[in-house]
Amino acid sequence: MKKIIIIKYGELSTKKDNINFFISKLKNNISLILESIENEISYDFGRMFIKVNENDIDIVVNKLKKVFGILEIIIGYIDNELEIEKIKNNTLNLISDKNFNTFKVITKRSDKTYPINSMEINNVIGGYLLKNISNIKVDVHNPELSINIEIRKNEVLYYFNGIKGLGGYPVGTLGKGLLMLSGGIDSPVSGYMAIKRGVKIEAIYFESPPHTSEMAKEKVIKLARVLSYYNAEIKLHIINFTEIQETILKNIPHDYLITIMRRMMYRISAIIAHNNKCNILINGESIGQVASQTLTSMRAINEVIKMPVIRPLACFDKLEIIKMAKEIQTYDISTLPFEDCCTIFVPKHPVINPSLSKCEEYEKLIPYKELIHKAIKNHEVLIIKEKMENKYQDLL
Amino acid sequence: MIYLDYSATTPVSYEVLDTISKVTKEFIGNANSLHALGLKSANLLESATKQIADIYGISPNEIIYTSGATEANNMALIGVAMANHKKGKHIIVSKLEHPSIYAICNYLKSIGFEISYVNNDKEGLIDFEDLKNKIREDTILVSICAVNSETGVRQPLKMIRQIIKKENLATIFHSDITQAVGKVSINFHDIDLASMSAHKIFGPKGIGFLYKSNMIKITPIIYGSGKFNELKPGTPPLPLIAALSKAIRLANTDLEKRERFVNLLNMKIVNFLEKYPEIKINKTKYSIPQILNISIMNIMPETFLHMLDKHEVYLSTNTACSSGEISNSIMAIYDDPKRAKHTIRISLSYVTTTDEINKFLEIFKEEYENAISIK
Repeated sequence: MKKIIIIKYGELSTKKDNINFFISKLKNNISLILESIENEISYDFGRMFIKVNENDIDIVVNKLKKVFGILEIIIGYIDNELEIEKIKNNTLNLISDKNFNTFKVITKRSDKTYPINSMEINNVIGGYLLKNISNIKVDVHNPELSINIEIRKNEVLYYFNGIKGLGGYPVGTLGKGLLMLSGGIDSPVSGYMAIKRGVKIEAIYFESPPHTSEMAKEKVIKLARVLSYYNAEIKLHIINFTEIQETILKNIPHDYLITIMRRMMYRISAIIAHNNKCNILINGESIGQVASQTLTSMRAINEVIKMPVIRPLACFDKLEIIKMAKEIQTYDISTLPFEDCCTIFVPKHPVINPSLSKCEEYEKLIPYKELIHKAIKNHEVLIIKEKMENKYQDLL
Repeated sequence: MIYLDYSATTPVSYEVLDTISKVTKEFIGNANSLHALGLKSANLLESATKQIADIYGISPNEIIYTSGATEANNMALIGVAMANHKKGKHIIVSKLEHPSIYAICNYLKSIGFEISYVNNDKEGLIDFEDLKNKIREDTILVSICAVNSETGVRQPLKMIRQIIKKENLATIFHSDITQAVGKVSINFHDIDLASMSAHKIFGPKGIGFLYKSNMIKITPIIYGSGKFNELKPGTPPLPLIAALSKAIRLANTDLEKRERFVNLLNMKIVNFLEKYPEIKINKTKYSIPQILNISIMNIMPETFLHMLDKHEVYLSTNTACSSGEISNSIMAIYDDPKRAKHTIRISLSYVTTTDEINKFLEIFKEEYENAISIK
């Protein structure tokens, strides 16, 4: 008997016209994450089948648990014995180590020439199991164990309950976005939520050496790497923000420091997004968490760009965000104690309701257009992948 | 030299030695330090750990570096005992474990734990019925090695796990996998804790790791500071860790192909030795080909070893670690004290050549026939 992995699609199965595009995108995404493992993927109207070596099954299933667009991951068993007696035996063997009280047999015949019809097979198998296993009952509405048997032309496929997949849309089916990634808890979670909706993301990080350390940058790279498990790979744009930040510090009244700084970041992000064919910005802003996240602040900051800004966490509270960060395994990295540039120059009394006219007035005091242009030109770009960097290839 | 004692230890391979040298020279920072040199070391450490994690399909934080399998066994058994003694004090081990396991059990016995020994059949396989019956509500740990170091008997870990968890979901399953690594494939999802050493897979002595599943907690037995793992504080030995990671990568290639080759060498030796009526082949159908145990009934094993030593042929009696005169593993399988007193272990590797085996058998014949003629 051979094992095979079956994938059931998620939300994308409702998109009638685009379904082929979605399925092939899903197939490509799966091929990418299974790059280093021998595999064969085929698909039909409702499901995808993946053949791998028996030794690799656990590893592959673990990887599939991180692919968006999958509703359920099921391990199936294929056998070429078509006789009903063999099917009875196989079914009994396959469920022998399972613990359950109620079950249901669901048979499908894709080969209609098979002599016994589905209903009869359900009954025959059901009866056989009831005879051979004690203390179990049939429950047609809500069985603990679903026994699925598919009779095809030359083989029989058996499968049971599967593992829940991530859901969402296959990455890349809904365009590209640029994630403003800081080392904090919120922005990686926002990135994850955008990827879940099918957005392929690139990321942008603002560093201010020597005020921010190499460790802070490493932290962001680590976070990008975690997100790359879901996104295949992440292009990380690293902007040297030191000159802009120091210029703002020297020339702008302190209560407007954060507001003006954020306006610069938005401008830079929008340009980078545009240059890289991203249609939206994404960030981890949540209403009210810090001074720059009041509604008037958001308006004063957002006003500098036309591109839509998605804030997936706008209405979540901190505890909910922390819970998600732990689930996607970014929490431990985010809480490493290396400050990013938003936290190092925090004024004592940041303005809570900044005025648009004051922002414009203050910005006239600094040559920000040249500074922005300078920061963007020749900025560092890293491609972050799940696979290890080649720099250790000779050592490891 | 004909080295046939690979289960005792292996020479460090050229590639691994190269890594130790390079890392020692180029990565001088303490991985715990905050500056750029520390960061450089921390990054290599992370990549080395990730490589091991990826190969075995586990999480990087489930790997705890130790000085070897003995330390890992201590961490595992004492750690589980200390963390779970309120739930129970019953521990089950097999009769085919490495001596360190029994030494730790003796310590635990002295502080109030109860140790049971599960039986095995004549092929060395764990008696599943006996295991099932011995597991109780207060059984906190079962420790059964993946491959016995003397006879090479390999246990079906998945099946053992199923039996344990069916009887008591809370019982933790530890396996000393030292003799299995690099020889047979291991599925870490079958076990909760595992111990291994690098020096069995052409890595350096002094490094190994304990696998601890994230699903369980154990009490640390070593205390200190350092940001990596509370179970093993202190400065991580980066050159050794990088070496371990490389050794694991190299050991995990072509397992099946290598096993087939070693099997041919094994069969060659068996066919040759079978001819001698006073030589018993202590091989069961579950023995892996890399380990071949024999009993030379009419010669004392130490004496014979020294005779071969003259020709620079190196074998073991019992294991390198056990000091007793009787092989516990042979007793457990064959229940024959004479057989257990006369064991010699021949351990092969995929780097052993047919030529070496041919020469070995020539020398064996010469010395053996000489020895019995003296008698």
